[in-house]
Amino acid sequence: MARETPGRTRTRSPERPRKRASSEGEEFLHELETVSRGVRDPVAKLRFIRSSLARHEAADRMVQKVRFTPVRKVMYHWLSLEGLRHVLGGSRRDEAAPVTIATRVSLAFGRAAVIGLGLMVGVGVGVAVYRRTRPPAAPLMAAPRQVGAPAVTAPAAGAVPPPVSLAPAGVAPAAIWLVEKGPQYELYSNGLRIDTGLAVKGTPRAYRVFDEDGRLDPHVQTAPVGLLFHTSESDVWPLEAAYNENLRGSSQGLLRYVQHNRLYHYVIDRFGRVYRIVSEDSKANHAGNSVWAYDGKVYLNLNHAFLGVSFETRWEGGKALPITQAQFAAGRNLADSLRQRYSIAPEMCVTHGLTSVNPTKRLIGHHMDWARGFPFEAFGLPDQYRRKAPSVAIFGFDYDDDFLKVLDEPWPGVRVAEAELAAEARRQHRDVEDLRYEKQTAYDRWIEKQEDPEAPAGRSTASTSRPEGLQ
Amino acid sequence: MVEERKDHLWKVAQEAEDRIDDLMKAGSNPVGLDVGTSKVVAARRKGKEIDTGSQLNAFIPVPYSRFTETILGQNEISYYRENGELIIYGTATEKFANMFNANVRRPMADGLINPREKFAMPVLEAILQTLVPKARAQGEVLAFSVPAAADGKDAQLTYHEATLRRYFESLGYKAVAINEGLAVIFSELEDNNFTGIGISCGGGMCNVTLAYLSIPSMMFSIAKGGDFIDDSVASVTGEQATRVKVIKEDGLDLSKTAKDKYEKALRIYYEDLIETLVEKLQHSISQADKLPRSDRPLPIVISGGTAKPRGFKEMFEKALSARMLPVEISAVRMAADPLTATARGSLIAALYEK
Repeated sequence: MARETPGRTRTRSPERPRKRASSEGEEFLHELETVSRGVRDPVAKLRFIRSSLARHEAADRMVQKVRFTPVRKVMYHWLSLEGLRHVLGGSRRDEAAPVTIATRVSLAFGRAAVIGLGLMVGVGVGVAVYRRTRPPAAPLMAAPRQVGAPAVTAPAAGAVPPPVSLAPAGVAPAAIWLVEKGPQYELYSNGLRIDTGLAVKGTPRAYRVFDEDGRLDPHVQTAPVGLLFHTSESDVWPLEAAYNENLRGSSQGLLRYVQHNRLYHYVIDRFGRVYRIVSEDSKANHAGNSVWAYDGKVYLNLNHAFLGVSFETRWEGGKALPITQAQFAAGRNLADSLRQRYSIAPEMCVTHGLTSVNPTKRLIGHHMDWARGFPFEAFGLPDQYRRKAPSVAIFGFDYDDDFLKVLDEPWPGVRVAEAELAAEARRQHRDVEDLRYEKQTAYDRWIEKQEDPEAPAGRSTASTSRPEGLQ
Repeated sequence: MVEERKDHLWKVAQEAEDRIDDLMKAGSNPVGLDVGTSKVVAARRKGKEIDTGSQLNAFIPVPYSRFTETILGQNEISYYRENGELIIYGTATEKFANMFNANVRRPMADGLINPREKFAMPVLEAILQTLVPKARAQGEVLAFSVPAAADGKDAQLTYHEATLRRYFESLGYKAVAINEGLAVIFSELEDNNFTGIGISCGGGMCNVTLAYLSIPSMMFSIAKGGDFIDDSVASVTGEQATRVKVIKEDGLDLSKTAKDKYEKALRIYYEDLIETLVEKLQHSISQADKLPRSDRPLPIVISGGTAKPRGFKEMFEKALSARMLPVEISAVRMAADPLTATARGSLIAALYEK
């Protein structure tokens, strides 16, 4: 607030002299002003003043019937305090209310007087009623009955604790359901709490799927069929109290950026808080050029088909588990919840690094987050690193020295796909590179077809060779 | 087309533009907006503090060329392409205007949407977009300032208010209009139980409101503000108005003797503005039907960018003391932050409406 300047400018019209406040209306306003001066928060003060003025007429009619001025003033003051109490939202919040100590004391006195009066009346009535209708003796408390609750067996004393496992312990809910929904959050029965305050809508989800023969399903799908795990590659601070502000600031910056660019459906920050950023019925820009396949179906560019879940961390070549315990627990709960909600097959839960491709250079590993080190097993998922790499098997994509600088060795699924390519080339008495090239050009045709909204269903191209199936 | 932006993730910058972004997008609190002729200022509560961000409410069109567009993109300057022109808008506009020695154009004039400017609404919406994203929750409250109707401009004010309201509602907000002078009172006269006179001297006009216990008793505006001073000085000195604005904002001190022709002219037109303001204040209070039933003298608080030069308050006090007002004035004071007072007051109105 601005300070009062020392010099005072006084201008006054001689023809409009004013009287001192003396009428009943001015008494009310005077008391209203006195009480409102004790409110420190501008919004609370504005609410108090406006609501008091609105109630003024009704209250005024009542109080003006009192002839004795001092009593009238006390009543106006009391009414103002009651109005303030109403604005501040009830007696339990008075301790933290934005009012001065003097006002707080006035509120307390006012309340004490009302409570005292109420108690006296209440006790009197209560005693009278009790004497007339004394009830027979009965137990004060009954032990609550356990109805069908499964018992949790405590481990025997001295028993060897099980090896450290990332599998969930304790009683798991039979299903995951939405327990509670507030304006800024959702709470699920497996403990998952989603902060929804940042959620934004994006382009509605709509995609089509290829079969192994390159036929594009004419039906447009609108439900997600997979989960794609990412790392945010943002700044990561040590998980120590001394860096608390850096940790918080970094997360906030990341969330803003992700929201602005609609990058992921979910972000899990370093403290394990789950934020919904892009609504689940929209696509997020998380996957880019990417390939995955399962159960005879091939998915290209996974922004629409897959939900993007990003852990706030840097992957750093996957040399260590790069997420915190809190992130792990939250990530597992989130994955379980999404998988149940959309009936997502475990084989369709994969990482960005395993799917990302560079179509211009025909290379895998364009983005490499989680290209190694994602704890699939702990998430209750099959080891996707061992699954045959669809980008290699179907489209003959390769890897280069830069890829090997990061990973040393491609993940096992790449080797499996390469072996299959070699076997196929041998069968066809062809050079492997020749076969690769043929498959790589097929990728362009598939993509072209996918991006063409008028594309008819059926075989994708009149290509000389049909892309090979996966499994 | 596949969007692939992830490579930029670690480039999250903590710069001024980001601060606006942060302010506007971090919380789900109500928004207070000062939609002024010269600047748009947004205020939002951030914890116990109030955070503000602003954009210049101006634009400048430059001929399209790929080179220019690349330069704008590289420098992260807000622009959009319209036929054969690149429309540069917001805070960067002034820099370009000085560079090309041209005057900026404004989507608003005299506190209202500029009816003579064909780009008025597209540019204003683009500027507002940088400060106010879509509401997170439907019905989030946004209070935006509107001027008091100047003489004969009631219909234009109605159009201005309705257009802005419709725009904010399209973003999902519950939009509430608040008089600019009242917003200043909300922001600055809390200690006086929102009783007193609030004056906002902006780019297009000066707005005045007298309120008692937050209820406005009298309000008016005059169509003189910073732009009037800039244009008048420009016309008598032969300088570009944009350049005059720079001189004005570069430490002008009205309490000192003018040292060149620009300062002399600035002083003359500041006196003219203040004289008009005080005269209208006296007239309006005299004509007001219902004045506060208060025995106490009223404080006056002044805000707005035009009131920022040193010596403005003293000049105002001098003009005030030369006239007999029908109400007693306790003090004249400057707002704690003249540039954001209206936005802060609008925020209080938004929080009140929440």
